[in-house]
Amino acid sequence: MAPWKANVPNRPRTGGRSIERDAMNRGQPLASVLLLTCLLLVSGGCQGRGAKNLLILHSPVITEAVVWSGEVRISGVATVKKEGRLTILPGTRVVFSKIDLDGDGIGDSELLVEGELLARGTAEAPIVFTSGAAKPKKADWKYLYLDFARRAELSWVVSEYAYSGVQIHFCQARIVDSTFRYNVDGVRFSTVKLELAGNRIHDNSHGLRYEERGSTAHIHHNEIRDNEIGIFVVTRGDDKAVIEGNNIVGSLAYSVKLGLEQQGDVTLPGNWWGNSDPEAVASTFFDRRFDSSLGTVRAPEPLAAPVSIETWHLHQGDHL
Amino acid sequence: MKKAFFPHLALVLASFILLAAAVLPAGACVGKTLVIGSTGTVQQDILAQLLSILISERTGTSVKVQRFDSSAAAHASLLKAELDLYVEYTGVGQVEILHGAAIADPEALYQAVKDAYNQDLNLVWLKPIGFDEPRVAPAGVTAQAAPVVRKDTLKKFPALARLINKLGGAIDASAMQRLEAKAAGENIAAVARQFLKDGQLI
Repeated sequence: MAPWKANVPNRPRTGGRSIERDAMNRGQPLASVLLLTCLLLVSGGCQGRGAKNLLILHSPVITEAVVWSGEVRISGVATVKKEGRLTILPGTRVVFSKIDLDGDGIGDSELLVEGELLARGTAEAPIVFTSGAAKPKKADWKYLYLDFARRAELSWVVSEYAYSGVQIHFCQARIVDSTFRYNVDGVRFSTVKLELAGNRIHDNSHGLRYEERGSTAHIHHNEIRDNEIGIFVVTRGDDKAVIEGNNIVGSLAYSVKLGLEQQGDVTLPGNWWGNSDPEAVASTFFDRRFDSSLGTVRAPEPLAAPVSIETWHLHQGDHL
Repeated sequence: MKKAFFPHLALVLASFILLAAAVLPAGACVGKTLVIGSTGTVQQDILAQLLSILISERTGTSVKVQRFDSSAAAHASLLKAELDLYVEYTGVGQVEILHGAAIADPEALYQAVKDAYNQDLNLVWLKPIGFDEPRVAPAGVTAQAAPVVRKDTLKKFPALARLINKLGGAIDASAMQRLEAKAAGENIAAVARQFLKDGQLI
């Protein structure tokens, strides 16, 4: 990465355009003012935050090394192409405009990563992906979408008010120390090599949702709490994902639910379920006990006390 | 001044339209949203919510309920592929949609509309839900309620018929009356959800 790019993070070289700069360079004040007003309204701008390092982007396409910091407002699909690398600095707020042109109830703005994403926040300065709506709610924006990504590392990230806080498909990713909240799906994956550790996944419709499809996933030392469904195993699960040493508690409907076509059993050993009585734990599963065409959820060796999720560093990469 | 303003206005409008067009969804992994219709009565709203909740809860598919003011409007939307399914009544299908002669025997009626919809319209009648609705029946026709689904939708969601058919025979006339009475004083979606939970369907 060229050093100057890190020093001037609000002027990235992207295939998209800076709306502010384009508008002001037209030299036609009236049209510029009206245009800027329209675009700010669409982008969910005009929020009066007075943010510094403000960058407003419409459907940017990133094809080289780019750094984001400050506040970045996105309308449409931001794409990191295969050859691109997006680095997001600690403390950055990425704000997605609420747009739903097809009326399906799911926001259209998203961040799609096919290249590299390095989003490493800190405990003191997390990176936040959030909605630009005045009264934010689930599915205001679509998702942080890692699809065939060359590299994806997320730490100390907060992702909220999306359809999916993060979706990972057909790639390798490491997501740690982060928070996924107020989404339809907190974390969703299929066909991945994934380590998910030390995260707080709470107040989503589905905390963790996956279609295994040959995935190598190690999911440990996460707090999956107060979701409608703790873990939703949709289909194509061969019981290969390792989900152990997590706190899976406070689920409003079921702690684990098997989707309509999940016929194989699913085993989740050594987790804390808020109760160490095997029968009480099993009563929170939606599986063969409800529908004889489904597999059975097994929870051998339930823990007798919560896991300290901060200790995940001692276990990283155990199963990868 | 006015003349000078119009090119600027055109520029603004053109930019706005381009912006709107460019943020159309890129097609991705939230999958297709299924659209379920209701023809606007309380009973129809309950049935649409039952289907919506059952499908979204058991498959994770995104579902949206859309209201219409008549069976004819819902049917037209099915044919245009703007709607995926709704609950229709056999008598209405035979007389108002197909413009056929009334058939008094309920089983013969169901089979007649099922065959005609399948062969001529690429629409599939799934299992009757379990109650008749005389209030919507054209004269001389007993009307069973059953989901009607686009054949293309069933191809895209192969497990959908099996799932929806779990509602087959699940609601008799008295159960439907109880649901309608509850829906008069409670949120319809909550009523539908509780019914599905009580039946261990979700």
